[in-house]
Amino acid sequence: MLAQRQVKTGEAPPPNVRESSAAAYVLWILGVLLKAAVILVFVFPFLWMISTSLQTFEETMAFPPTWLPAIPQWSNFVEAMSAGPFLTYARNSVVVTFSVILLQMLVMIPAAYAFAKYKFRGKELCFALVLLAFMIPGQVTFIPVYLMLAKWGLIDSLLPQIIPFISNAFGIFLLRQYFMQIPQEIIESARLDNASEFKIIRKIMVPMSMPALATIALFSFVSHWNDYFWPLVMTDSDSVRPLTMGIAMLRQTEGISNWHIIMAGNVVLVVPILIVYLFASRQIVKAFVYSGIK
Amino acid sequence: MIKKMSLVLMAAALAGGMLAGCSGGKTPQGDAAAGSGSAGQKEAEGKTVVNFWHSLGGKNGEYLNAMIQRFNDTHSNIEVVGTFQGSYAETVTKLQQAVAAKSGPDVAMLERAYVQMFADADVLEDLNPYLKKSGMSTNDFVAGLMGHSIFDKKLVTLPFNRSTPIMHVNKTLLDEKGLAIPKTWEELKKVANAMVVKENGEYTRYGLTMPYDTWYPIAMITQAKGKFFNDDTTSIGFNNGEGAKVFHFLKDMQNTGALYYPPATDSGNIVNQMFTSGKVAMMFQSTGVIGSIANTVKFNYVTAFLPMDQVYATPTGGANLGIMADSKNKDAAWEFLHWVMTDPQGAQQFVIDSGYLPFTKKMVESQQMKDLWAKEPNRKVAYDQLQYAIDTNKAIAWPQVEQEFFKAIQAIMYDNANVDSTLANFKKETDRILKQ
Repeated sequence: MLAQRQVKTGEAPPPNVRESSAAAYVLWILGVLLKAAVILVFVFPFLWMISTSLQTFEETMAFPPTWLPAIPQWSNFVEAMSAGPFLTYARNSVVVTFSVILLQMLVMIPAAYAFAKYKFRGKELCFALVLLAFMIPGQVTFIPVYLMLAKWGLIDSLLPQIIPFISNAFGIFLLRQYFMQIPQEIIESARLDNASEFKIIRKIMVPMSMPALATIALFSFVSHWNDYFWPLVMTDSDSVRPLTMGIAMLRQTEGISNWHIIMAGNVVLVVPILIVYLFASRQIVKAFVYSGIK
Repeated sequence: MIKKMSLVLMAAALAGGMLAGCSGGKTPQGDAAAGSGSAGQKEAEGKTVVNFWHSLGGKNGEYLNAMIQRFNDTHSNIEVVGTFQGSYAETVTKLQQAVAAKSGPDVAMLERAYVQMFADADVLEDLNPYLKKSGMSTNDFVAGLMGHSIFDKKLVTLPFNRSTPIMHVNKTLLDEKGLAIPKTWEELKKVANAMVVKENGEYTRYGLTMPYDTWYPIAMITQAKGKFFNDDTTSIGFNNGEGAKVFHFLKDMQNTGALYYPPATDSGNIVNQMFTSGKVAMMFQSTGVIGSIANTVKFNYVTAFLPMDQVYATPTGGANLGIMADSKNKDAAWEFLHWVMTDPQGAQQFVIDSGYLPFTKKMVESQQMKDLWAKEPNRKVAYDQLQYAIDTNKAIAWPQVEQEFFKAIQAIMYDNANVDSTLANFKKETDRILKQ
């Protein structure tokens, strides 16, 4: 479906070739086909997930595989969502993800500004520390972090899923690069007009780096929304768990899994990401185009 | 224009996050204070709360939750809170960190191969005194399933959701060729080869398959009268040709299409689908799939013992339950465990619902189990095979050794590595690990 649409829009603009050149035209068609193939590779798993989420158990077990369900089984979604306290899971996912993004922005923007535009003692060391944090995976730190938070009595709250991510090292790094491209002259002239540093951030730095901020926010959104490992190790009870844990619970431990139910759960998990992505995609393309130009 | 819109959106998202963020930290604690009954170690309305960590998802998880509900409904002074903690391996990780932080549960489900590790760390309560107090003994349990329960004379776990590998047979296909269900390796090889269909140089039907797992080679090693570890767990116990025999046998079958050895990723699902769709005639697979297969297939589906080489033998699988030594509610935890082990509404009903093996003699002799077996003889075969159950992969370092064994299986089954040198190498690695 999506692949076809892409091909059509590809046809709409005049091909970037001279009419006389048949060889170039063939090349153009080849290009379109290749793009369609690449798109198909990325879109196919999603279509497969949606198709499976609407099949019966027998259809999921059939070999050769069932492409389209004979009768769409919408009840799979009901079954997936009534398997556990899904409303609680969904609320926790939303609260954690948005809190993390918000708090990251509050820390990241001033930090990136300082690293990009200020000279101060120990700047290199501080930035090296940020990069270090960027390179250490959660699997290395989770046990000490858990022990610390357990000591503070926070395990039965959402905070263990939020606090460790307030500082987003990747975001600080990316935004610093972006801020560095903003001409010093603009900032100087704002200072001459008596703008406070806070105002400079708010009126100049942030608006001018919207694409980068949108990219960082989206990456953050996807990684925290989809995160399974961290909530698994940081939470002990259902009341503080996110959607990903609820979906893992749909899997059969031994025996044959009900893939149609699991996929229905996955569709529920993925749809918010697609919606957010639709809104953010333009900014993201811009962010990458800009950083490509320099 | 676009910039403005996204700015508004961003602001809205941030504001939403701000509001949510503020309530985020407080809500769960608020819940806990209100005693919603779902969270944490707390005593609500004078009830003793027993936290029970398990690894059962999907249908089996639902059956387990139903069992916990039945307990809570009939016990006014205890509330058991069952919480899913991910796969068996993930539950192990969670238990390890929770033990260190002293935030662990009262009752935990442990995959049987990890029991040794936790018992060695002294974090599991000895259940012998409790058993005695309740007038029970280890003789009340099915002997074949107690292989991972006793450590240093301490009874550290009791069986709960237990399974074994078994042979699943598409009897319709065998009958078409007038073949009997194989009882020995030799017959297995013959029947499997007779089942192979090759069209245009490609196999369209295989004889036998099994998931990519250490379970099945271990089963076959014991059938060849070997042991996975030797009796002192200082080295492997199949160095007298038993291991080489197993893998040569499998390779021979693989080379003629008699054995389909699946890709490592998702192998369990792949072999199940091949079997249910008639692409393979026989399958070594857990007893856990009997119910789903019986509900899915149209052909005559039967189960049989894993074929013998020198002897019939099978390892066991699944998980046990134990009480954590750190638990503050051990008596309540035992009351739950005791009910699970003895009440017809406890594990007996769970076993009937889920298809796991009955594990006490009382369950086996119960009318409900007899009725079930009369209706589903395939499940009786699984129980009968337990008389040959033998677990020989008991070592604290089993998880590490298993990784090495997986590497050996990969090398032999996928990369056609030399069987003897691969196993020699595996032995060397195992000896090194066991020495530590």
